[in-house]
Amino acid sequence: MAKKITGGHLAAKYMKEMEKVDTVFTISGGHIENLLDGMAQYGIRAVDVRHEQAAAMMAHAWSVYRNEPGVCLVTAGPGFTNALTGIVNAHLENVPLVVLSGRHPIRDDLKGALQEMNQIDMVKPVTKWCATCYDPARIPEYLSIAFRQATMGRPGPVFLELPPDILFAETDESLVAMPSRRRHKTYVSPAQDELEEAARIINGAQKPMFLGGSGIGMSDCGKVLEQFLRKTGIPFALINYGRGVLPDNHPQSVNPGGFTGLTAGLPMCDVIIAAGVRFNWVLQSGSLFPDARVIRIDIEPTEIDRNRSVDVGLVGDAGRVLEQLMPLVEQRSHEKWLETFKNAYTAFMTTELEKRNTASDPIHPSRLVEQIQRTFGEDAYYVADGGDTTYYGMSGFASRHRAGVLAPAGGLLGCLGTGIPFAIAAKLAHPNKPVIVLNGDGSFGFNAMEFDTAVRHNIPIICVVNNDCAWGMIKHSQEISLGPDRCTCADLGLRHYEKMVEGLGGYGELVTKDEEIVPALKRAAGSGKPACINVLTDPTVTSPATVLFYQSFAGLG
Amino acid sequence: MRMSILLFLIYRMLWISSKVNPRFKRFIRKARVRLMIKTADGRHARLFVFENGRVSTATGPDHRFDAALVWQDPGTAVSVMLKRSQEAIFYAAAEGKLKLEGMSVYALWFDEAVKQAL
Ligand SMILES: Cc1ncc(C[n+]2csc(CCOP(=O)(O)OP(=O)(O)O)c2C)c(N)n1
Ligand SMILES: [Mg+2]
Repeated sequence: MAKKITGGHLAAKYMKEMEKVDTVFTISGGHIENLLDGMAQYGIRAVDVRHEQAAAMMAHAWSVYRNEPGVCLVTAGPGFTNALTGIVNAHLENVPLVVLSGRHPIRDDLKGALQEMNQIDMVKPVTKWCATCYDPARIPEYLSIAFRQATMGRPGPVFLELPPDILFAETDESLVAMPSRRRHKTYVSPAQDELEEAARIINGAQKPMFLGGSGIGMSDCGKVLEQFLRKTGIPFALINYGRGVLPDNHPQSVNPGGFTGLTAGLPMCDVIIAAGVRFNWVLQSGSLFPDARVIRIDIEPTEIDRNRSVDVGLVGDAGRVLEQLMPLVEQRSHEKWLETFKNAYTAFMTTELEKRNTASDPIHPSRLVEQIQRTFGEDAYYVADGGDTTYYGMSGFASRHRAGVLAPAGGLLGCLGTGIPFAIAAKLAHPNKPVIVLNGDGSFGFNAMEFDTAVRHNIPIICVVNNDCAWGMIKHSQEISLGPDRCTCADLGLRHYEKMVEGLGGYGELVTKDEEIVPALKRAAGSGKPACINVLTDPTVTSPATVLFYQSFAGLG
Repeated sequence: MRMSILLFLIYRMLWISSKVNPRFKRFIRKARVRLMIKTADGRHARLFVFENGRVSTATGPDHRFDAALVWQDPGTAVSVMLKRSQEAIFYAAAEGKLKLEGMSVYALWFDEAVKQAL
């Protein structure tokens, strides 16, 4: 008799055997039961979370930390709508997130079935590809399209709806074609004369800067990047998911100057090589360097002249384009320029550096970040989430790992609540490294229940709450715009988040004094449990990010 | 030119622009910024205050500020400021002649304000 397999098991089998998926982030639901059962059957770990938003964000982060598509599985209706925020986030960051979703049965279409809704039309504008599969025998084929769409060319999220009628249906396994997963060796490459023109500009540069973004991280091209930068002598900054492809403490890196360094220094550059980084809101649409000659490297041709026309556009995978440039660029040194750049930003950061190095009462957030950094060092993964908190984390943390410092709320969606899901994914991807998330007290609330996930799955992240008892960034910008006595919906009050985590089975401590920070962090790490160190910090201080945030609205109206 | 005279002239220029220059008026209309320019020894110091479209000033180093340009000496301050270029400021900082206290974004804002006022 022919061997039968259900649609759900077939989906799991394909993912495990062909796509080598070992982890899926999910919440259970009746519509997807058979697929969950299939995952158990084929040995795919299900990390079951407490809100589908977190499942999508963890799968997003998984694809960043592992450089492979992250998969989340959500049930029909509210499971799907809850995941939407995470899908949009992946869409705006071009991340290869694969979303598998339940939906109402095909049989019950238009009858008013439980959780019946048009999910496809809702998700279409925020995915690279989306489809519904109607035939159990074609599930592997649909999945193979989904994974190809997610990863090829510029990556992006994809969405595949699997109705229960096909997940529960049995098929003759011998009739199912399993598409093999082939990694094609076809690449887009720039024309030779464009490469030569780029090299001419690079070879003639006096004050160049290499700016690498997520495309550098996704290309994972640390080796050739290091060779290219060593040969050309060009100073560099790596941001977004490119951060850490070369360590923050690399002698040619200007990352320690952070945002202050870039805003002060980029306008001085005569040549900018921007690789895998978009000139969007985060980079002020490329307006920071009006006089520079610009070379852009991007996998997506339509990005090349977006918001700012460039001198040369090189389309292709960042690492491969750098390989092609290598023989054309000259051996040079820009040591004097690098020193000038570093000295200038150090002078601009006088106060920030002072705050980091002096004990403070109440604790200054920059000081808190410094104490965390001193405790865990550069062999760790850091995530920051919040308003002002994002700024303090981004500028103060340093890691020697790819994506070792991420601030997902600083992305285009500006989505608070990303920190804990990212930290959980980081710890799953790198179980032997410390993973620390610095959370604003406001942003902590969005996905705080994921501490239960961390406890159930034994994922010992350390969450440090930078607790200013407020939605700080909003409060401080209201203080400027409306006046201090008219702030609205901006205060939170002192809450014992550490006790909440304790109640969920984790480790918690409240810290109010500078000298208590480091011992508390060490005890948290020593506990081996998911931990929350709730640190009361100075509620009056604000960050440059808030000033810019305010200024971006002040021009309106 | 002496530093204190230059600082006073900058203030007058900003004040006049706040009354007559529509572009500048628009630029500062929602701003709340306190910018200090001083020498490290505090002997030359002037605070520029922007508050909802008004420009005011105070002398002396002991005022609360959002950002302060702290010059090594008055001679350097005058020669660099008269160049009226961001580049000159950048190089002065790189050479140790200038440091910035507080938040540099406010100094960039002030630089833009002066450009708009001129
Ligand atoms: C999901 C979401 N809701 C609301 C906002 C608007 N918002 C931006 S910053 C901010 C305040 C963040 O407060 P907190 O996390 O405590 O960080 P802090 O600024 O105090 O460091 C808010 C509410 C947002 N960006 N994302
Ligand atoms: Mg807060």
